[in-house]
Amino acid sequence: MMLIWLYLVALGVILSLAAALWRVWRGPARADRMMAAQLIGTGGVALLVLLAPLQDWAVLDVALALALLAALAAVGFVKATTPDGAGDPEETSPDLPADTAPVADPRHTQGTPHG
Amino acid sequence: MTTALPLLLDAALCALILGAALATVAGRGVFRAVVFFITYGLALSIAWVRLGAVDVALAEAAIGAGLTGVLLLAAHGRLRRLRAAGDPGTGAAAWPAALAGAGLTGALIWAWFALPLPEDPGPALAGAMPHAGVGNPVTAVLLNFRAWDTLLESIVLLAALLGVWMLTRRQDWHAPPGLAQHTASGGVMAGFGRVLPPIGLMVGVWLVWAGAEGTGGAFQGGTVLAGVALLVFMAGLPPPPRISAPGLRLALVAGPAVFLMAGLAGAVLAGGFLTVPPALAKPVIVTIEVALALSIAVTLALMVIGPPEGEASHGQR
Repeated sequence: MMLIWLYLVALGVILSLAAALWRVWRGPARADRMMAAQLIGTGGVALLVLLAPLQDWAVLDVALALALLAALAAVGFVKATTPDGAGDPEETSPDLPADTAPVADPRHTQGTPHG
Repeated sequence: MTTALPLLLDAALCALILGAALATVAGRGVFRAVVFFITYGLALSIAWVRLGAVDVALAEAAIGAGLTGVLLLAAHGRLRRLRAAGDPGTGAAAWPAALAGAGLTGALIWAWFALPLPEDPGPALAGAMPHAGVGNPVTAVLLNFRAWDTLLESIVLLAALLGVWMLTRRQDWHAPPGLAQHTASGGVMAGFGRVLPPIGLMVGVWLVWAGAEGTGGAFQGGTVLAGVALLVFMAGLPPPPRISAPGLRLALVAGPAVFLMAGLAGAVLAGGFLTVPPALAKPVIVTIEVALALSIAVTLALMVIGPPEGEASHGQR
């Protein structure tokens, strides 16, 4: 009986993953797609935790690794959206659009002028 | 009821994987394809779990959902800054790629039906396992019975990193690799870069150690450690070491070097290159795994970070 419940809940999680995939397709903003990918990461961890008692408790290790590293993509995304690809949105002034905001960090203005 | 449910679960998972794969190649826009590819890797990792290959699932989760995502997102961000991230188009160039992909899929389907089922490796492997020194059959094959393959793979990784470094310009050679990362002090990203690495370090070390008897291994643990290193570098605390630093070079070659030395010692003492006497197998394998994990972690992290880019390239952007 317990196993049936685990399978049913796992199926429910897969449905939510499918809904998140639809959001990745639809967007419209890049952040929407990225957040949907993060939701899939979280759902994937949930699915793995549900599969662990059904298959092999070692699956928990996979869930652990995924939980750790799925967040890495979000960090990579946030980095890539900053003007020089190496910054942090919290550094730039919020009233400027991200694409035109100057690099706020003084370490990066000491090189050759922007060409 | 109980037999239909696993089937239904696997069917739903297959639909998810196919959907993500189709959306990756069929959708317009590079960024959408990148995000779909990340989710595709994630779904594949769950599929490996369903197939009972937990070690492969672990590697796929760490590489596919973790490192590849950062690499592709950084590449997309760079293309966008260079104003080159337009849709590559679905014109004439897409057809050869589509045909090659379809041909490969067809060949794989043909091979699946045409080739005989392999002799079950179970009995032979089970007979040899008591001499392997480790309890995990995957680790036994990778580091004892077929150690030659793993040795060459570890050298391939090093060669790939050298390929990345070849893109370095002469004047940037002594600069730290990658872009000069910076974050708002006390911000979310800096905090994230402080909170997560200790946990990730423990998980990575655990996976390397656990690989001897259960799920895990040098590659899986090394990849998690590479992710941790990337996070620290992206949070800007501290920056990655210069690629000319002797300590860094040592960490890069430690794995292949220890592996080679163990192989040569086997040739002298045990009667064959990479031969391990069963009595010494466990300590030898664990030593090789620890060195390999270190090298894999440093190599993968540096490959994702990219070649050094001096101040000049920062100014151009």
